[in-house]
Amino acid sequence: MPDELHTVEVLPSQKKVTAHRGSLLLDAAAKAGMVIDTPCGGQGRCGRCLVKVTKGQAIDHESPRLTPQQRADGWVLSCTARVGGDVSFVIPAQRERELIVVETATTRTAVPVQCDWPFYPTVRQFYAELPPPSLDSNAADLDRLQAYVAEKQGLAKLAVSPTLLPRLAATLREANWRVTLTVILEGGDQQARLIDISPGHKTGPLYAAAVDIGTTNVVIELVDLRQGKALGRVSSLNKQRSCGEDVISRIIYSERGNGLETLHRLVLETINGLLQEMAAQYKFDTRDIHQVTVAGNTTMIHLFWGLPATYLRKEPYTPTATFFPEVPASQLGININPNAPVYCLPAVAAYVGGDITAGVLSSCLFKSNKLTLFLDMGTNGEIVLGNSEWMTTCACSAGPAFEGGGVRDGMRAIDGAIEEIRINSKTLEPTLEVIGGVPPQGICGSGMITGLAEMLITGVVSRSGRMNLSLPDTYPGRARIRPGEHGAEYVLAWASESGTGNDIVLTEVDIDNLIRTKAAIYAGIAVMARNLGIPLDSIEEVLIGGAFGKHINIEAAIQIGLLPDLPWDKYRFLGNTSVWGAYNVLFSKYARQQVEESARKMTYFELIADASFMDELTAAAFLPHTNADLFPSVKEMLK
Amino acid sequence: MPVEIPVEKWAGKVNEVKLGGNGRKSIVIGGETTLPFLKIDGAMPHRPAIAVEVDDVMPADWSPHLIAAWGDALEDPAVWAKKAAEYGADIIALTLDSAHPERGNTGAAEAKKTVEKVLAAVDLPVIIIGPDVAEKDNEVLIAASSVGRGQRLALGNCVDKNYRSVAAACIADGHVAIAKTPIDINLAKQLNILICDIGLAPDAILMDPTTGGLGYGIEYTYSVMERLRLAALIGDKMTSMPMICNVGEESWRQKEARATSGVPATWGDHQERALAWEGITAVSLLNSGADIVVLQHPRTIALIKDAISKLMA
Amino acid sequence: MALSGIEIYKHLPKTNCKKCGFPTCLAFAMKVSQKAIAITACTDLSETARAALEAASRPPIRLITIGGDSRKVEVGNEVVMFRHEKTFYHPPGLMIKLKDTAPLEATLKTVDEVANLVIDRVGLKLSLDGFAIQNESKDAATFARCVEAVKAKADLPLVLMSPDPAAMEAALEKSARSRPLIYAATKDNWEKMAELAKKHSCPLVASEPASLDELAALTQKLNQAGVEDLVLDPGPQGFSSSLNTLTQLRRLALKKSFRPLGYPIITFPAETTGSPEEEVLLAGQQIAKYAGIIVLSRFSPATAYPLLTMRLNMYTDPQKPIQMSPGIYPIGAPKPSSPLCVTTNFSLTYFSVATELEASGFPSWLLVCDTEGLSVLTAWAAGKFDAEKIAKSVKAFNVEASISHRSIIIPGRVAVLRGELEEELQGWKIMVGPPEAMEIGSYLKRYWTN
Repeated sequence: MPDELHTVEVLPSQKKVTAHRGSLLLDAAAKAGMVIDTPCGGQGRCGRCLVKVTKGQAIDHESPRLTPQQRADGWVLSCTARVGGDVSFVIPAQRERELIVVETATTRTAVPVQCDWPFYPTVRQFYAELPPPSLDSNAADLDRLQAYVAEKQGLAKLAVSPTLLPRLAATLREANWRVTLTVILEGGDQQARLIDISPGHKTGPLYAAAVDIGTTNVVIELVDLRQGKALGRVSSLNKQRSCGEDVISRIIYSERGNGLETLHRLVLETINGLLQEMAAQYKFDTRDIHQVTVAGNTTMIHLFWGLPATYLRKEPYTPTATFFPEVPASQLGININPNAPVYCLPAVAAYVGGDITAGVLSSCLFKSNKLTLFLDMGTNGEIVLGNSEWMTTCACSAGPAFEGGGVRDGMRAIDGAIEEIRINSKTLEPTLEVIGGVPPQGICGSGMITGLAEMLITGVVSRSGRMNLSLPDTYPGRARIRPGEHGAEYVLAWASESGTGNDIVLTEVDIDNLIRTKAAIYAGIAVMARNLGIPLDSIEEVLIGGAFGKHINIEAAIQIGLLPDLPWDKYRFLGNTSVWGAYNVLFSKYARQQVEESARKMTYFELIADASFMDELTAAAFLPHTNADLFPSVKEMLK
Repeated sequence: MPVEIPVEKWAGKVNEVKLGGNGRKSIVIGGETTLPFLKIDGAMPHRPAIAVEVDDVMPADWSPHLIAAWGDALEDPAVWAKKAAEYGADIIALTLDSAHPERGNTGAAEAKKTVEKVLAAVDLPVIIIGPDVAEKDNEVLIAASSVGRGQRLALGNCVDKNYRSVAAACIADGHVAIAKTPIDINLAKQLNILICDIGLAPDAILMDPTTGGLGYGIEYTYSVMERLRLAALIGDKMTSMPMICNVGEESWRQKEARATSGVPATWGDHQERALAWEGITAVSLLNSGADIVVLQHPRTIALIKDAISKLMA
Repeated sequence: MALSGIEIYKHLPKTNCKKCGFPTCLAFAMKVSQKAIAITACTDLSETARAALEAASRPPIRLITIGGDSRKVEVGNEVVMFRHEKTFYHPPGLMIKLKDTAPLEATLKTVDEVANLVIDRVGLKLSLDGFAIQNESKDAATFARCVEAVKAKADLPLVLMSPDPAAMEAALEKSARSRPLIYAATKDNWEKMAELAKKHSCPLVASEPASLDELAALTQKLNQAGVEDLVLDPGPQGFSSSLNTLTQLRRLALKKSFRPLGYPIITFPAETTGSPEEEVLLAGQQIAKYAGIIVLSRFSPATAYPLLTMRLNMYTDPQKPIQMSPGIYPIGAPKPSSPLCVTTNFSLTYFSVATELEASGFPSWLLVCDTEGLSVLTAWAAGKFDAEKIAKSVKAFNVEASISHRSIIIPGRVAVLRGELEEELQGWKIMVGPPEAMEIGSYLKRYWTN
């Protein structure tokens, strides 16, 4: 009975209109003067047009956008749900809809995982009131100190950093024998080394820094070791970036002239600068930082130490060291308490570094009973597959595309970056979300992923990533697809709307670059899993780390074939797992023991040495993949 | 003791592709539900076909043995095609080489004339191959397409750069596209997907996986073809297209088949060696899944025709 | 059945002791599963684990050696149906048949020719493997004499062909030290032939044309008689039956682990073909489809060469990425003044650059460097495509002789190599091309002015 008329009430405005049975709720709402935004063009793809039926009947089919619970609560997609009788529905405020979408598909919050480490820092600080010397008791100052800590702190043996000796006598006397001692536990709980002695009773935070040296970004988490609390974070671009975007370029730079010195200096400048900024923000002296832990890829750590990096890139790819001794800050040139111990998390191989062992630590992968895939997607893509029993790891040279490199209008995920793109399949017009809500200046990794996924699904690009220039002019957005200098391109934002005064585009060359990057990561996963004899669908959990992991749209990442087509609830985002790993090591000495054990246990797999890698790479260099059966959910959508 | 032979049960089937018809002789190739000639697993309903290469210009650098075998026929594609039919060709593979920018740079008008002439001279199904420069291929293939409308020609090469227009011509005029890719299973499958995505029916596509001649990459072609065929038998629709191999040209252009002087004595008699070169290449690729082999020498046509009969027996 | 790395790992001690030379037990397990190292390299393996793993890794087709220390043929020990699944390991022996009734002088001339046939192909030396001598005379002394003479002329691996155990014995007396293959044990003479095989420690052909059932029955009898080194002769095979029968035999061995037929196969393509031309085609088929020893009825270098090439091609490792041979390639018909581009030898990289150059309207020179089959970025990252390598290739392939200018266009993705390359190639202009092959045409239009 298609001609049957029903009353439709649109809330919260309470407007009532009549609509034919079978008409879309979306159209009924429009009749009532409520235009619901449909970024995907009313295809039931994006989930932005959710409404909640409060009374009566709407006919809708299942959608991956809605959980069973949401459906039970009356939520439907207004672009696919139809009038089935008299009906009332609520159009939620924009914000509420956003939240729902975020919960169903693209959980973005980065919550550090708690592995329940006992709070057990190795740097301790305590107040001491020493008995002053007298003729009856005229032992040396140092002996006095040692006797005191042996008695009061149970530290049978106290070594002293030699640089403290010249000022020891004066400090004790000027402070009237009331001092705050900072020590680091060494080789068991009864042995320690004195690294600072200050007058009076210090009660404020005991500062330490967890550092993640990324190829692109350096991140520092400030930690209070007295409370065992993370206080705050600062980050900036790695100043080495002027010497090359990726690790290989850096290594090559290090091989020439003063290259190594320059890179060493630049990373220290970056770290010292950040520490200073941190100190200014939290109002303390950088000399009050008493411990530093550092996670970074093997190249970054070599350059941080000033070690030659050249052998990392030449066959057979050998690092100088994978385990690094703990050394005083002064030796490396970090401007904090010169005696503060600096510890670098251990690496596995030339291309799997301390940032990855940090990830294994902070994600709790090392104790998981589930078969887990851990991905760190930065300039290099590293992969760990395993569980509490065994772990394998490999690295793929993904390239810097997701961090903005090699893409014409690419940029980091900062204000002005387009981070989400929807393309209306009826008009081919895009809807953009820009970080900071400002006019767009460029596009960041997550924007590229959603943009490419949308272009694929709306037919703007073919499965090989070529623009379809033969689309008819009847689409209002057709003019956005045009020939360009770097192959054909799609205009995301016209010059008049952009924050740069130029058109912001994605070109075929950009897309080739993105496809190569995503193919490298997928091929790495596929080759490693196959070598172990593990089918991808037996993976029980996928953990995504890396700075980029905060802003990834899982669905879109699957659509372009970057991530395996697993149920979305198997994916978890952990944010910067590298800095959290370094933080864990500050927090507990047991975490440090664990990261060393994990590093020894991880089996490194050399992708380039695998004969099928290039083949796998070619297969993955298609959207979503040459073998679409590996991506059933996407295959369905492309029909 | 009775030996139990393991039999593979395949779920997939190679597409059946028809060439010719509408007044012209027709031929169907493909349709296998087993690996080549392997009767124990399934059926091979159609025998692989022999196509014979006919060029629209006198070949410039052919082996003297080829030139001697064809004689004056090389000067006129229509005569050449008739002679090829007499020697046992199932299909004529007409190459519009004169359209190559460096070998005459002829265009649509000449292509039309040549195709008309050859279509009139023989009643066999016809394959039209462009000069292997994507832009020129477009021009002459579209011209050939309209001349041969309804006669279900096979048009090649349909490649990454020109597939949209070649496939569109095939859709409009009822022809079959020859999808050619560099020797790689993934690229072959990708091109099939792209062509199907714009609407050409899967049974109007042949795959040319690029032939490496004996000693010049035959092992790559051989294995890519085996992989494509196995994928088809497993049920992958996007690798289920029959395959065509350009055996003659890839054998005869090698110095082992072409060079008349300055070769080591250990290479033996020239003609015997050259024929073996083309023959072994053909048999090997038939065994790895070729549904059409394009040959050049009359003696090879006879030998391979006989070998195919024996393999089908 | 091949075990996966994880399945093997489960049997290992999991101590990561490194005594096997690998950093972890899992790394070792993965190498074992690729058959890159024997399981016995783990010295701490429990007895039960060892038994389980060894059973799984026993070769399904027995490796048979024919010939003495100077020259030998090893066949069998294949593990896959299709070469892309792993590789074909042991190329079939190609033998020339001789008859003891032919004039000895003519026979020895052929022997000499075969023994001296060495074809040089891309740096490899190709030659035939030996002779199958047939006791056509039915006379033991003649047979022995012929075998002795052939062996004296050239000590190559032999197949001795006679149904008569007495003749075989006589011939073996003259040649047993070079482990000839005895052809053949049949259901009529197998006991005596088995005795000879054991006595002289020679491999033996089990010949039974009736059926695979009866062939299996024969090999089992020979096994029971104590002969393990066998080669199968399932009788004369034409194009179709050869393909079908040999495929079945390989399947039985690999998929069913059927040991009675887990041996290499000998074929005689001339027996079912009507002409030498046809014999060569069937022999070509049998190289790819599962023959272990192929006996050719006549020697002709003109057919030996293509067959040897076919064998070389089929038995190369297919798991390596397809590579172009390094060198300088003309694209179109370039002149000395045409552009010169450089790229790597991964075939798909080459193809995409060559295709774009061809479409660009600029005939060009393309210099292909040996990067072990890796693409530009991968090779660069692995240090296999650097300034030194490019400069070396320019010199090695005498590029300066082909071109009149001194400009070279490097891929845009390795723009960083420019400086070093300027040092390596003094007097050259280093041009940085576009990052994607797709842009080569527009790049050349814009920047190429020679």
